[in-house]
Amino acid sequence: MANHSTSSHSRYLQHHFVDAEQQFDAAKMGMWVFLVTEILFFGGLFAAYIVYRLWYPELFVMASEELNTLWGGVNTVVLIGSSLTVAMAIKSAQLNQKRNIAINLGITLALAAIFMVIKYFEWTHKFHLGIFPGEFYAYEGIDHPKANVFFSLYYLMTGLHGLHVIIGIGLMIWLLVRSVKGHFDSEYYTPVEITGLYWHLVDIIWIFLFPLFYLID
Amino acid sequence: MSGHHISTDKTLLGVAGGLLVLTVLTVVVHYLHLPDPWSIIVAMGIATFKAMLVALFFMNLYWDKRFNLMLFGTSIVFLALLVGLTLLDTLFRVDVLPSF
Repeated sequence: MANHSTSSHSRYLQHHFVDAEQQFDAAKMGMWVFLVTEILFFGGLFAAYIVYRLWYPELFVMASEELNTLWGGVNTVVLIGSSLTVAMAIKSAQLNQKRNIAINLGITLALAAIFMVIKYFEWTHKFHLGIFPGEFYAYEGIDHPKANVFFSLYYLMTGLHGLHVIIGIGLMIWLLVRSVKGHFDSEYYTPVEITGLYWHLVDIIWIFLFPLFYLID
Repeated sequence: MSGHHISTDKTLLGVAGGLLVLTVLTVVVHYLHLPDPWSIIVAMGIATFKAMLVALFFMNLYWDKRFNLMLFGTSIVFLALLVGLTLLDTLFRVDVLPSF
């Protein structure tokens, strides 16, 4: 089997690829195909949201008042910051700045954790009020018979998004460990690149969730 | 892998700064309480622009192989089909949800 790569990282080159470049492009394209399925996965919930908002526009205005715009906004800023640090980690790898890869991944991890802590307090505050999804809804504060529908959508969409953030935290820990071990440099950083794509998509989903739930008037 | 596009700090910080400004802008517009259809149109316009910034410059689609951009575009087309065809039903019902 011909080995076209002369770098020390040929240990990461699998034999069925012509060279490291082809392996990188294939991995990246595979990630994009996965992201397409992710967009359509969330897309079903966005479609449900659009249908119900057009049926009950007044409900969405009333129920949105229960959500805290400040914390939603803070979480938006937190996720934008984490997208920036992921992009910085990839740039650091491309420039062979191995220490900066780990630093940027560490900041990303911390920001993702902050996002989930804020999410935790938002959810538990609602549980405390009796705001549960679907038939478990037990809050008297919103004068609308379908108030539970809004919160079913809220918990499903922010919950699925939060699950993606948790999976992202797991991936960031894995990348951080590997970067500390010195696995990534300008010749090989495919896992950082494709995890970055995933993380940016999670950011994009939140960019839409924020105005759709917190900013209704 | 010298062929890969390497973003400068200036580009990355500029995009992040733009995203922060747009986040503040969308909150400010929310508190202006624009008349009915415009509030959601402006909010979704800003969100779409933010998503484009992330996709083009953080996810590198601007410099990447066009095939990946096509994949992304395809998902948007099919999402539009899903929402569009669903609304052709749900927008034109007499009873929105019979016995619900």
